Amino acid sequence: MTEKILGLIPVDWRFELTSLPYIRKIIKSRWMPFLPIVLNLSVFTVILMAGYVGGVSTGNYNFGIMFVWIVWWLLLMMVMVPFFSRIWCMVCPLPAFGEWLQRLGFTGVRNKLFGLNRKWPKSLKNMWLVNFLFLGTTYTTGFLTTRPIATFILLMSIIIGSIALMIVFEKRNFCKYIGCPVGGFLGLYSNMAVTEIRARDPQICKDHKHKDCVIGNEKGHSCPWMILPFDIGRNTYCGMCLECFKTCPYDNMAINLRPPATDLLVDKNRGLDEAWKAFIMLGIAIFFFLIMQGNNGLLKDWANAKTTEGYLTFVGLHSIFNLLLIPGVFLVFVYASRALGSKEIQLKKLFTNFSYTLVPLGLIAWIAFSFGLLFPNSSYVLHVLSDPFAWGWDLFGTAKFPWTPFLTGVMPYFQIGTLLFGLVLSLDIGFKISKQTFQNRDQAVRGFIPIAAFLTVTTIFLIWLFTG
Amino acid sequence: MRTINKFFMGALIFALLAGPLFVLAQSEEPKEKVITIEAKKFSYAPETVEVNKGDRVTIRFISTDVHHGLYIDGYELETNARPGQDGSITFTADETGKFVMRCSVTCGPFHPYMIGYLKVKPDYRLFGSIWLALGIFIGSILLVSRRQKP
Amino acid sequence: MQRKIMEIVAGFLVILATVGVIGGSLLYEDRLNREVKTIELLAEAPERGNWNPPVINLTKGEPVRIKIRNIDTVSHGFTIPELGIGLAGAAEIKPGQVATIDFVPQRTGTFKYMCTAWCSAQHMQMTGKIIISEN
Repeated sequence: MTEKILGLIPVDWRFELTSLPYIRKIIKSRWMPFLPIVLNLSVFTVILMAGYVGGVSTGNYNFGIMFVWIVWWLLLMMVMVPFFSRIWCMVCPLPAFGEWLQRLGFTGVRNKLFGLNRKWPKSLKNMWLVNFLFLGTTYTTGFLTTRPIATFILLMSIIIGSIALMIVFEKRNFCKYIGCPVGGFLGLYSNMAVTEIRARDPQICKDHKHKDCVIGNEKGHSCPWMILPFDIGRNTYCGMCLECFKTCPYDNMAINLRPPATDLLVDKNRGLDEAWKAFIMLGIAIFFFLIMQGNNGLLKDWANAKTTEGYLTFVGLHSIFNLLLIPGVFLVFVYASRALGSKEIQLKKLFTNFSYTLVPLGLIAWIAFSFGLLFPNSSYVLHVLSDPFAWGWDLFGTAKFPWTPFLTGVMPYFQIGTLLFGLVLSLDIGFKISKQTFQNRDQAVRGFIPIAAFLTVTTIFLIWLFTG
Repeated sequence: MRTINKFFMGALIFALLAGPLFVLAQSEEPKEKVITIEAKKFSYAPETVEVNKGDRVTIRFISTDVHHGLYIDGYELETNARPGQDGSITFTADETGKFVMRCSVTCGPFHPYMIGYLKVKPDYRLFGSIWLALGIFIGSILLVSRRQKP
Repeated sequence: MQRKIMEIVAGFLVILATVGVIGGSLLYEDRLNREVKTIELLAEAPERGNWNPPVINLTKGEPVRIKIRNIDTVSHGFTIPELGIGLAGAAEIKPGQVATIDFVPQRTGTFKYMCTAWCSAQHMQMTGKIIISEN
């Protein structure tokens, strides 16, 4: 009997979005995704210019701050990742210069890429580096989200770093393993998405020995994300660059609509690096809430580095909470799960597998957090659109638009509704993972109970933190 | 245990949980309350204001360093004060729950994070959501422990 | 050949998106400032730099636009009390906002300009000089 997500949608249900010929034609053109990237690049030019010109002036009236930490972040968490997987990577302008340099061109195909084309060491082919990079970036959140020049420095560093590293390491190693702070969560949370790229008919790929998608041909590059398009198990490392649509001589690649969170049930390449990414994302949602939407002035002074000791205290607590406390508490519940379920299962395997139940919870926690920014503060965007550099412009007539919070009365209900839905989805995925990991159903049920308790307690904590 | 008995037991536990939550949600007689809130960069003192449903609340709003504001979510009330001014507002706390109070006058880099909480008790919404979450937990355990057909 | 054309168009679009946006913005700003002699005055609280420039030189009879940009994180105000010049309406420039004052200096001499919004403990020190001279 086929498993169903939330008891409603069969896990293997797919609808092919690229079955429409017009859509397929656009995807196969070499102008795609080049044109969206260039459009994005023009917005980024405004962001960088506003960040540079803005200096340490107030962030809420700065185009750079508003468009990165409100518009982009909210779109990423609430729309792009849950609905379209790693679609941001498709259009991200930051590594564009590096990639154009590798290809010595914009829309053409060059099978021998420029640069040293070094391979990334196997031991680092995981999320550990980007976990620490992301954590490190969050230490600066007090400045990054409030001082325009800080956002400028971060983005410029990624651009320059990507150009330098993409001349050394082959293809998109920079994006996958080295220098993108959000690569880790894009990779892990894309497992939740209702969209995927997969080969349409696996039999065609089985019979096709000369894998153009992996090797490349005159129509397109070998997969820059260095995965096997004919055998994509999970969305994690597919950057949706669309090269495989162009190279496949059988037109066998597809973009599918599918039920949410199905990748979390795929037991392929699961690891502690991804487990820690899940802990870190959950922990940061809590810490960022406390700093940005909480009422404790002392913590805010710490994050704003009012004193050095305070700042270091914040960095220390933040790190311990994310790297040790949350995993430690989770370990206790996993231990209980093993005690109740079956002691024959390895603790490490149980711990790793069950950590994937934190992915729906984490993504939904971030969506609930994002509501807390959207309703009160998104009105600033209208001002910065008319006067992006604070030079006194009024391009669209909205420069004098005042700060206007809206729907703040219903905001908590959005948050609670989202969190309860996240709980239901996490429990569903949790039990399915339990059945995968234990040897029989009875063990799976008993072993599930402590995990369900952890998920419920965490959800109740988040509801209390955000709305109570 | 037979499935139908399990369901009854689960439903009973769930219903009984409402009991303690109901006790916690006992309301008090409405009173007149005057509370002074002092604003500085970037927090309020006190950080949390607690009142009961129906209270007639006067907030005496003063600033200790620069021009600050106070906007109350949900109630959509706004006041502001420069140092030396009194931005008092009065309202009836007829909605329950936690309401974020935000600064409405840009006052420095951390202005968007300058936040206090207004809690109007009893917080029915919080108790209700916790009850629902516990119900989901109980329901999920019952659902998965159904005996499978052979 | 078609490839070459695609590449040239693509390259042009990239330049437009980067250099074009930057250049276009700078040109637009310059054009706005050319309408009348414009003096850009940056407002910062005294402990963060005070007014910039501290001294403004004007010519009697020449129409001038003072563009006051508040690049600080608190509100500021502006007035030249001896000339009766100040901000209309709300009388305060929010952080990130810009206020424009157009006038024609009628008298010569040295005058004080100052901030009118309580912006810091050192607010009273937020002043500068305007020197108006004959041609």
